[in-house]
Amino acid sequence: MNVQRIRLIVQFISFVVLTYGGLFYIDMGNRMPTFSCAFVDDNGGSCFLVGFQHMLARPFSEFWGDAGIRLLKVLGVVSLWAIVLNKAWCGWICPFGFVQDLLTKLRNLISIDMSRFAWMTRTRYKSVKYILLALLILIPLGIGNAMLGMPKLSRDWSAPFCQMCPARVLMPILNGDFSEIYIDFSSGPGMFLTTAAIVLSGLFFTTAFVKRRFLCSYCPMLALLSLFDKIGFTTLRKDGQRCTRCGNCSRACPMEIREIEEEKTMSNLVTQDCILCMRCVDVCPEDEALQIRFLNMPVYTATEKGFLQRQSGSSKEQVESEITKHD
Amino acid sequence: MTEQTKKLTKRERLANKVKVNLAMSVREIMDQINDQGNRPENMAYFDRIFETFEHGGEGTVQPRKGEKIIGTYCLFVPEELIYATGARPVRLCSGAYESVEIGEDYLPEGACPMVKSEIGFSALPVLSFFHQCEMLVMPASCDWKVKMAEILSEFAPVHMMDMPRVKEEESSRAFWLEEVKRFIKRLEKVTGVRITRRRLKQSIQMIQRAQVEFHRFHRIRKATPPVITGRDALEVMNAYFYDHVEDWTAAVSKLNDELEERIRNQVQVARVGAARIMLTGSPMVFPNWKVPTIIEEMDGVLVADEFCTSNRYLNDMVAVDEGTMSDMVHAIADRYLLPSTCPIFSNSVDRKDRLLQLIDDYQVEGVIYHILKGCHPYDVETKIIEKLMEGKGVPMLKIETDYSPQDVEQLRTRIEAFQETLKGRRG
Repeated sequence: MNVQRIRLIVQFISFVVLTYGGLFYIDMGNRMPTFSCAFVDDNGGSCFLVGFQHMLARPFSEFWGDAGIRLLKVLGVVSLWAIVLNKAWCGWICPFGFVQDLLTKLRNLISIDMSRFAWMTRTRYKSVKYILLALLILIPLGIGNAMLGMPKLSRDWSAPFCQMCPARVLMPILNGDFSEIYIDFSSGPGMFLTTAAIVLSGLFFTTAFVKRRFLCSYCPMLALLSLFDKIGFTTLRKDGQRCTRCGNCSRACPMEIREIEEEKTMSNLVTQDCILCMRCVDVCPEDEALQIRFLNMPVYTATEKGFLQRQSGSSKEQVESEITKHD
Repeated sequence: MTEQTKKLTKRERLANKVKVNLAMSVREIMDQINDQGNRPENMAYFDRIFETFEHGGEGTVQPRKGEKIIGTYCLFVPEELIYATGARPVRLCSGAYESVEIGEDYLPEGACPMVKSEIGFSALPVLSFFHQCEMLVMPASCDWKVKMAEILSEFAPVHMMDMPRVKEEESSRAFWLEEVKRFIKRLEKVTGVRITRRRLKQSIQMIQRAQVEFHRFHRIRKATPPVITGRDALEVMNAYFYDHVEDWTAAVSKLNDELEERIRNQVQVARVGAARIMLTGSPMVFPNWKVPTIIEEMDGVLVADEFCTSNRYLNDMVAVDEGTMSDMVHAIADRYLLPSTCPIFSNSVDRKDRLLQLIDDYQVEGVIYHILKGCHPYDVETKIIEKLMEGKGVPMLKIETDYSPQDVEQLRTRIEAFQETLKGRRG
């Protein structure tokens, strides 16, 4: 079976479990490194960022006690999740990513052409996700502590990322809850952050008809997970000599990663923006040029025959039979 | 008036002379090919195509009903697009010695024999399919081709496709994509057919099917001992120039079936212990069978090649991603530019890796690097490849030659010595 189909099924299952799992008493905890929003009432497990940001909003001295241990526990659980599944959280589990993929399917159906960033633009905005990650740690710390000679930030800044996250606005809608669509006029920071959330939600829909996984490029969760790229269990290997640099991989990549095509020497190509969707392996025509490994065991390998089969598609069984006939 | 008739007859006399000479040398080569013995039966289909060269190219290209012929001069011309308009691409790269002299009236002495030969056939009515083309498509790949377009425009409308040389860069890719789009517009105008999403998808799949058979054929060539000679393999690939892709696919499919049968029955075409040679360098087009013939007559076997007229021609495939019109056009542009191992590009990394991979896959013992006199891109790269082979520990023989039969004996001595050395190395 086609890996992309398997991925779609896995995404669908995890979407259902994470968005509606609560209805069936499923609870996978609230320490997950993925955008299964905690504001979704019936969630079957949620994003760790809400709790994490609240935990950070206390004086440094308190971290030497219970609070510190609780924080370490959260980080421990998240790290473990991140090491075992690394970027598969983005490409295979994230419900928010799944909805973006569905919108891309809709775009293809009505045959709207995709647009690509200029290489320069793409490179320039790569740091945004790390800045967001830093801010979602620093701002809560600034609430509990006077840092850098500034006074303590007001409580209106609490859980700043959640306030601006488009998943908070959009995902509850799938639970029939429209109450997160608002702009908080009660305070300056609140107004700023919730307006950002509304704008990003709008972008979520509009960009889906122009690009693939637009918001993922700026996701601080991706930045966080990318810290585990080198030690994660899943790796993406490349055999440089077999690579013809045909560019299929980078053209098919929803994250517009160029390294996958350009690199001939780097062995592990799970780069910072990689979401392990494995599209690159799908379209690689060279035997064993690309390979996904889990704990160093080959899971999915690029093959010429596989490529031909996928390219011919189901509409032309002729090619498939031609390939298999002579196997 | 009398002046003109006189000129015309002179031209015709010349054409007839070339025709007769060509027929003679083609006959000779076909005889040599048939001397190989133990040839696959299904090679007859391909032999027929080349035998037509004896009769002025009558029937070399058999256009289907209403099919317009578009002549192409390089492997950079996206044939998917031509088929999508219902026209038929015919690659006019030529290997005939007989027309070189005519080409010398148009090009300097130092030009490579291939362009001279091509211009010769355009200038004189020798091979009919050269004169049936609705349009000629010329990618500005090497310097000779750049000027050739202007010369050829005397004989037929020429569409020039500009080529970037630094294919890694964003600007080059964008530029090439625009060139491909410009080609689409010109094609649509010439053929009067609009390339729709459906038509393009069909033609992409049609060529993909040919490539499936091509890749199968090349997997079969990995068999040791080989079940098909290098000359036959070159012939099969060369036939793609003139044949309709569907007919070619069907014929290669039959041939592949036969060859697989041969593997099972352990039929061999070369002596066990023959030196395993890879041939690469300047393009090699029928009837320029000089070098492969010598290699295989001197107890060598041509197990692999890396030519734009053979292995490189169909190796890379269009990979459709989203399937929208712009995605398919983008995929086509990428397929022709990015994986190309042509030495006109600034970076030879891809070519080097490809050669190393072929050496590994086909257990190559020695490489013969073929340079046509005047073929600068390959000439420039010789040192780089020499160094690469030294590092790999594979001996390499560089031969510089042209289409003339004068140096056959000298080449024979050198190639024989080289192949003996290879066998001596086995220890």
